[in-house]
Amino acid sequence: MNIVVCIKQIIDPEVPMSQFKIDPRTKRQVQGNNPLVISPYDANALEVAIQLKEKQGAKVTAISVGGATTIAALKSAMSMGADEAILVNEPLLAGSDQQGIAYALAKAIQKAGACDLILTGCESGDWADRAVPGFLAEELGIGYVGYVTRIKVRDGQVVVRRVVEDGYELIEAETPFLAAISSDETNTARYAKLRDIMAAAKKMIPVWKAADLGLDLERIGASAARVAITDVYIPVKESRCEMIEGNTPEEKAAKLAARLRDLKLI
Amino acid sequence: MPGTLVLATTKDGRLTRNTLELLAGARRLKEKLAEPVAAAILGTEVGSYVPLLFAHGADQVYRAEHPLLEGYQGDAYTLALHQICERAQPTVVLLPGDVMGRELGPRLAYRLQATFVAEFIDFDLDQASGQLQFTRQAYGGKAVAVVQLRVNPVVATAKLRTLEPATQEEGRTGEEIRVDVVLEVSHLKTRLIEKVQEEATGVNLGDAKIVVSGGRGVHGPEGFRVLEELAQVLRGAVGASRAATDAGWVPPSWQIGQTGRNVSPELYLAFGISGATQHVAGISGSKHIVAVNTDPEAPIFKVAQLGIVGDWKLIATKLIERCKELTQV
Amino acid sequence: MTPMREVYWNIPGHLFLYLLFFPFLVVYVYGIYRHTRMILMGEPAAVLGSMWDRLKGVVEDAVLQRRIAKDTVSGLLHRSISWGFAVLFIATCLVTLQDYLGIPTLRGSFYLYFMSLTVDLFGLAAIAGMLIALARRYGLRPDRLLLPRMAKSYNVLLALFLIILVTGFLIEGLRIAATADPWGRWSPGGWLASALFRGTEQPQQVVLHRVLWWFHAIIAFAFIAYLPYGVGMHVTSAAANILLKNREGSGVLRPIDLDRAEQFGAEAINQFTWKDLLDLEACTECGRCQQACPAWATGKPLTPKGVIIDLRDHMRLVADGEESRKMVGEVISQDVLWACTTCGACHQECPIFIEPIPKIIEMRRHLVMEEADFPETMQQALRSLEERGHPFRGASASRTDWAKGLGVKTVAANGPPEILYWVGCTAAFDERNQQVAAAFAKLLQRAGVDFAILGEEERCTGDPARRIGNEYLFQMLARENIAILNRYGIKKIVTTCPHGFNTLKNEYPKLGGSYEVVHHTQMLADLVKEGRLRLEKPIDGVVSFHDPCYLGRHNGVYDAPRQVLGAIPGLTVKEMGRCREGGFCCGAGGGLMWFEEKIGKRVSWERTEEALALAPQVLASACPFCLIMFEDALKVKDAIGQTRPLDVAELMAQSVE
Repeated sequence: MNIVVCIKQIIDPEVPMSQFKIDPRTKRQVQGNNPLVISPYDANALEVAIQLKEKQGAKVTAISVGGATTIAALKSAMSMGADEAILVNEPLLAGSDQQGIAYALAKAIQKAGACDLILTGCESGDWADRAVPGFLAEELGIGYVGYVTRIKVRDGQVVVRRVVEDGYELIEAETPFLAAISSDETNTARYAKLRDIMAAAKKMIPVWKAADLGLDLERIGASAARVAITDVYIPVKESRCEMIEGNTPEEKAAKLAARLRDLKLI
Repeated sequence: MPGTLVLATTKDGRLTRNTLELLAGARRLKEKLAEPVAAAILGTEVGSYVPLLFAHGADQVYRAEHPLLEGYQGDAYTLALHQICERAQPTVVLLPGDVMGRELGPRLAYRLQATFVAEFIDFDLDQASGQLQFTRQAYGGKAVAVVQLRVNPVVATAKLRTLEPATQEEGRTGEEIRVDVVLEVSHLKTRLIEKVQEEATGVNLGDAKIVVSGGRGVHGPEGFRVLEELAQVLRGAVGASRAATDAGWVPPSWQIGQTGRNVSPELYLAFGISGATQHVAGISGSKHIVAVNTDPEAPIFKVAQLGIVGDWKLIATKLIERCKELTQV
Repeated sequence: MTPMREVYWNIPGHLFLYLLFFPFLVVYVYGIYRHTRMILMGEPAAVLGSMWDRLKGVVEDAVLQRRIAKDTVSGLLHRSISWGFAVLFIATCLVTLQDYLGIPTLRGSFYLYFMSLTVDLFGLAAIAGMLIALARRYGLRPDRLLLPRMAKSYNVLLALFLIILVTGFLIEGLRIAATADPWGRWSPGGWLASALFRGTEQPQQVVLHRVLWWFHAIIAFAFIAYLPYGVGMHVTSAAANILLKNREGSGVLRPIDLDRAEQFGAEAINQFTWKDLLDLEACTECGRCQQACPAWATGKPLTPKGVIIDLRDHMRLVADGEESRKMVGEVISQDVLWACTTCGACHQECPIFIEPIPKIIEMRRHLVMEEADFPETMQQALRSLEERGHPFRGASASRTDWAKGLGVKTVAANGPPEILYWVGCTAAFDERNQQVAAAFAKLLQRAGVDFAILGEEERCTGDPARRIGNEYLFQMLARENIAILNRYGIKKIVTTCPHGFNTLKNEYPKLGGSYEVVHHTQMLADLVKEGRLRLEKPIDGVVSFHDPCYLGRHNGVYDAPRQVLGAIPGLTVKEMGRCREGGFCCGAGGGLMWFEEKIGKRVSWERTEEALALAPQVLASACPFCLIMFEDALKVKDAIGQTRPLDVAELMAQSVE
């Protein structure tokens, strides 16, 4: 089985508010001292892929569109268990919208070879457009299921479990197809073994450009973007919280009940 | 003809709240763009919903009935909507920001070669350029982004529980257009095998007026039994922060936050939840937030209106007792 | 007439003795050989330090047995048995001297005072010690000897030795009686024994004497031969262990040469060093380590004694090719490994300097680096360390938020100071501890100390990574920190965190970072002594000081915090029973700050209860982890109104203003 996992490297999403700043010129978050990490749901996707590899044997390839720093994320993916990694580092991709990125990813996946399963995170930790998986599936002309937490392969059939508002669904899918992964307690990204980290550090990662992928330049870059981000700002929040006092927790709870009754909430 | 197309969904014989929110949004767009509002409804027998859609603001209803449209299936709905859009030629397509809408949005946008905007919380017409612009949250809710279209049409998913639902106007009518969708089993690449319900109280999280929620401070699945009891007494729903769902204490569908559900109940009770922006992003529409936490510096207290510093379990247990008494009167 | 005794009286053919001894000697040597070979299956280890100091250590701990004597009864019985054994053995050898070299040991005053009187008294003392030992082990049955299981061969050892001693006195008594020895009284034991034979005829006495003599010889030889096959091995291995003991502090862990190491940590018994294996061999199962262990005291399956003897038994099974279990996970379970706070109490107590902590750490290293199989919460902490340089995932502060408005200088902006204040991750990111950093910084400013912080350039010293077992991450963090410190030319560091203090002071030098490091209590004590800080305002009340393990036991700093507290007017210092080197851990060390104790009672509660028994107004400590532990425990016990946990710096700040 061949699995491709698309990952994105982002600025640590758990940066505290005091360290979160937007550059007014680029309208993007300032990296500053903050570390770069694999987008959390992409890490879950890697974990799902590697669990499948362990259970039924599969080759896992991690692909990312990014820059020089993205190599570290791909090495991280390999130390978790990905067999190979590919970086698409094409300056002309800068300013692409989700469709442009999905197009580039699709071409990279096609170049990487036939695959049965493509996994992505259900949304990225920074922009959370939740768009690239859908666009990617359309580019490749394959089926797509979002919010998948678990994947099983039974007699050559892929069955996924995906989360919906009131529970979950089990869906059978024909390969090749794309699953956008969400998290649950079974797919927490594993801690890498030191040996694998050291081995990954030595591996070579091919870097592909537009020419390698045969990209139609009209479809990528800022000029092809259908949407323009005109502003990004940090909203000012203000609120006052009324703290309920009391000598014991029980007393505080009773006061709360009374307050809620006053507010006609209960 | 140009206009706004809304995807309507139904549950238990009624239009969902999501649909009403989208229709309200569409009516606002109508004011700005001076273009009609259309609704698309897919299913097997959907005739009864057409008058409801008119009553809530639709000028046109595109009705698509086909056996393969019973229940949401990604390929079928994408195909059907695409065909409807080819008929309707909308300027804006509004989809709900739920699992279905989030899947459909990019796929439809691709096929329509349209712009795609995700999870908008507001929109407006930019006076200078005459283009529609949408506002959405970014960076886990820490920032707000304004995006402008460069290409029409646009497919947009609305963040649930940010728009006020449309009200009903008696006696409103409109134009019903039946669309014969061309759909075959061979088009479908996935098949639903089984669906499992996992709601705690039977009250849907997205519709509940009161939500009782637990986080890392609840320390395990047993703690959620207490919260469920409280929710039952209050006739509300139970939710959780990502810490609790990732730990496997409760199903992932209970997760509220940036990466989970967005809720806007009258009353949101947060027990043992620290209040990380990721979670707060999912409750900002709540009218009243009550937070219970042992840490007086927890960020949740910055967004709550009422707060208690103390052991969540003792407080919840006492609250159950008092609420039982109060609601019995 | 010169006092004397005939050598080998009544024992013709005594030369046969040596022939008789030979097979027993072979058995003994073979036993030693087997043990040595088993130990040598371990990895190489360096033995550093002067041999002279080491020999002094042997005198202090193997001969004088200071640590054993910390338990009075044990000291008494062990000294009498061991010294008795030694003296008798020497005396027997001295007889040989007369026999072959003609040195008159059995003549004159030497014969009377030493060979007769002294030796007899030691023999009697040995018997008394033996009886006390037997009564204790099989009568009183104290937990530390019995749990987790009773050592097997003490009964044989004690019985054999008792028989030897008793028959020895009987033989002496028979000789005294049979020869009507005029100096018999000089041997009180023998004299008493001779009274038993008054009724016997002289010829019978002679026969009995000869028979018992050879019997005694055989039993004695059997005893010697048996030594390496039971617990008696400790006579040699314990002495060897004391000689070869690790002279670095208990707070220092062995580095791994990551580039050259074939494996990370220990998965199999032969992946420990031979010195580790010698530790296993030397253990006498006295259980003092167990008694002091905070994990064991609170119901965890971890006992240092258990770890050592389980590994020892496992080693023997492996040497015999009979072991089917895995060492890590089966012989030593994960619950055991993750219960250790690395407090060092076991190292402190062991009379023969066995070190359980390095064994636990090596197994942790295997789990963490080779298997990536370790508790989820610790994984998150390490991941956060890798990504953010601190272990507090979800922290909403920056490294300098605590210092807002205080005018604290940073090295980057103001240049290298006279002394660097290493704030530490906990003081920066934990809200309670931010107050400690602020208090200390204000005190330094008040005293006019030229200090600065690294601010955003500071990264975790790496202590949690090293204790949890990720040596790679530790070295990475350490090298980054050392590079920054060296780039700025930092020479002196003060820190409010004992873990940081220990790592910066003791573990960084091996990686290229040598600095003069002091703990904040040491600095504050000096500032008070120099009069740069005056403690004027009284604080009325009782304070109890909890010795942080990484400040006290691992680094010997007990007095400085007490000097500071003692200098605060109005404050009464009450010591807890388990204080100073006997201090009881707060439970957060060894990376356990990021581990939820699920078994037994919380270590922090145990310690807090001990403090609460003194009803102090303040429970003082000098460590951010201890402070967090006490805050949580006192809150849970609803005692935080009566007893407040405070850092020494905070108390001082209150008295200075």
